[in-house]
Amino acid sequence: MTESTIGVTPRRTKPKTSDVVGTGILAVLGLVAVIMGLGYGFLGEDGQIGPGFMPVTTGAFIVIASLTEIARLYLARDGHASAGLGGLADELSAEAAAVQKSAHGESADDTASTPAEEKGEELDTFGRTAKQRARTVPLIFAVLLAALLLTQLIGMLLALATMMLALLLVIERKPVLPSVLASAAVLVAAYLIFVQMLGVPLPQGLLGIL
Amino acid sequence: MIDNLMLGIETAVSPENLLWCAVGVVLGTLIGLMPGLGSATGVAILLPVTLTMEPVTALIMLAGIYYGSQYGASTSSILISTPGDSSSVVLTLDGYRMARNGRAGAALAISAISSFIAAIISLMVLLALAAPVASWALNFGPPETLAIILLGMATIVTFAGENMLRGIIMAAAGLLLAMIGTASGFTTARFTFGSMNLLSGLEFVAVMIGIFAIGEVVHQIHRGGEKPIRARLRDLMLTKDEAKRILPPALRGTFLGTALGVLPGAGATLASFMSYGLEGRVSKHRKELGSGAVEGVAAPEASNNAAANSSFIPTLALGIPGSGTTAILLGAFVIFGLQPGPMLFEQQPDLVWGLLVSFFFGNLLLLVLNLPLAPVFAQVLRIPYSYLYPIIIVLSMVGAYAVGNSMFAVWVVFFAGALGYFMKRYGFPAAPLVLGLVLGPMLERSLVQTSSMGHGNLLIVFERPLSAFFMVLAILAFVGPPLLGVINRRRERSRQEKAATPA
Repeated sequence: MTESTIGVTPRRTKPKTSDVVGTGILAVLGLVAVIMGLGYGFLGEDGQIGPGFMPVTTGAFIVIASLTEIARLYLARDGHASAGLGGLADELSAEAAAVQKSAHGESADDTASTPAEEKGEELDTFGRTAKQRARTVPLIFAVLLAALLLTQLIGMLLALATMMLALLLVIERKPVLPSVLASAAVLVAAYLIFVQMLGVPLPQGLLGIL
Repeated sequence: MIDNLMLGIETAVSPENLLWCAVGVVLGTLIGLMPGLGSATGVAILLPVTLTMEPVTALIMLAGIYYGSQYGASTSSILISTPGDSSSVVLTLDGYRMARNGRAGAALAISAISSFIAAIISLMVLLALAAPVASWALNFGPPETLAIILLGMATIVTFAGENMLRGIIMAAAGLLLAMIGTASGFTTARFTFGSMNLLSGLEFVAVMIGIFAIGEVVHQIHRGGEKPIRARLRDLMLTKDEAKRILPPALRGTFLGTALGVLPGAGATLASFMSYGLEGRVSKHRKELGSGAVEGVAAPEASNNAAANSSFIPTLALGIPGSGTTAILLGAFVIFGLQPGPMLFEQQPDLVWGLLVSFFFGNLLLLVLNLPLAPVFAQVLRIPYSYLYPIIIVLSMVGAYAVGNSMFAVWVVFFAGALGYFMKRYGFPAAPLVLGLVLGPMLERSLVQTSSMGHGNLLIVFERPLSAFFMVLAILAFVGPPLLGVINRRRERSRQEKAATPA
């Protein structure tokens, strides 16, 4: 099974920029670890392992592996990786992905039970286009960051409940009433589980209510 | 053996433990069902909730989530062709085909029955092997421990999937993360950059929650979620022919899954793929594979359950987890002040055996619940993801705070979440990173001890027979697959050239 796909078309493809950049960042990280590790002392007295031994060796592993990976990205034919025993798994996953794709592209003949979910065909389940999706992820992280900063001010539970409300209303564009109810329910549940049941002293912020 | 079992039964049947076992398997089924929420995510999110429980009760519940999710994950593979967890990806091939052919109910029943068969057999193997392995491992010195940790890391890198190099990079990155703070044997603070918070190292569970809960959930949004397709669920009854065809593939899957699960570093996902591949070679009905064959459901489903169970052997007896989820479970042990490994069997026999025996009750309950109720559970698939993911984010954050009682852990979750998202998006495997993170301190300790044993000479790992054996295995696991790949490619190329010349 594995043989059939290996090296079918010997063609060099240009690697994706994201792959090269990501691996490059890791290589730099590895290098930093090596340099800092040498500062900690590679070997201690009488030639035994020092605190810098692990940082240096692991860092070196990262540098070598990422440089090899970058070289592979440029040189590999048809982008074939040195798949380990996972090779079979990859083939089957690809097959499964194809089945899933065709399944999800099929007409709605057996989806009839929930009319609410059959909106546009080009949109995803959230009702977003690919372009909107790319913007959503940084937005979610931004809202989460804001909530964590707000924690000092209004306390953790209130900040996170506000975050949930913001995610539902602004990003998911859900109706107001269900959003408020869902956020309130999660607030109460989190309070009951963590504060009442587990006795965790969650940060209350300057407000000091919850 | 009998004594241990009795002790285990005594612990497992206490009302409290039975209750939380049931809660664990039901939650696990539900979590497994939801696309994008796997066993690793479930255990990471719910770990903080168990903090005030007795350690054995908490571990029984968390383990229940793990094997329970193996049942749930297959349900969503079959019904909506979307695996709930990576270990049931293969089920979308034949399981979903069966559902399309109007045999959804039967497919669910086959999956529940073969899961149960596998669970019980592998549990017996687990009960029989765990203690001998642990007592054998008691004799390990630092060189043997070092060698077996390296073997574990080599196998997980090899099985990491599409790209071994990325597996190596991520495992090493996990080791680096583990080095942050002051190491046990030294006084030097490493990679702290002057931060007081980093002195005691990164909170392990916070990193897990970040990678598996936040990163996973946000990535799901980037992918655009999944469209629920509802299959009809009439005919839960199996036909006589179908019933007859379950056992042989289920047994083959169980055997393969149990064997693979025992290897440190290889988990349920790999087992399910391999057993599907095996059916393609040996099954009487192999021509039907891919078009809704019973074998295509029974074998992978049996093998992922078997592997999930038997992966507890290296986790408990050696302290070396076989997968992302068992790595988190190992983290749970550490939070409760327990160190998995050979000593655990001596010091906490009631805990170990209680936990293992609880698997039996958990799986029995899962069978009873899943046979008639799988369609009811499947209703979870109607919960819109837009409501689900904010809830997961809130619970993750509060949970992370609860683990360390500090805001610092919450920030770790935030950054680990961003890291996890990028890893997922650009195809860097998470399992090696997590294993590196868990094994880092152990690896360093055994390195230091080995080095002092050999007076600075690390090569003594090759002088002792057992550690030399493990080292050779580790090197083979590490070097073998790429070498095979090169040989295969060479052979293929020369074959192509030969084919090209006559034309």
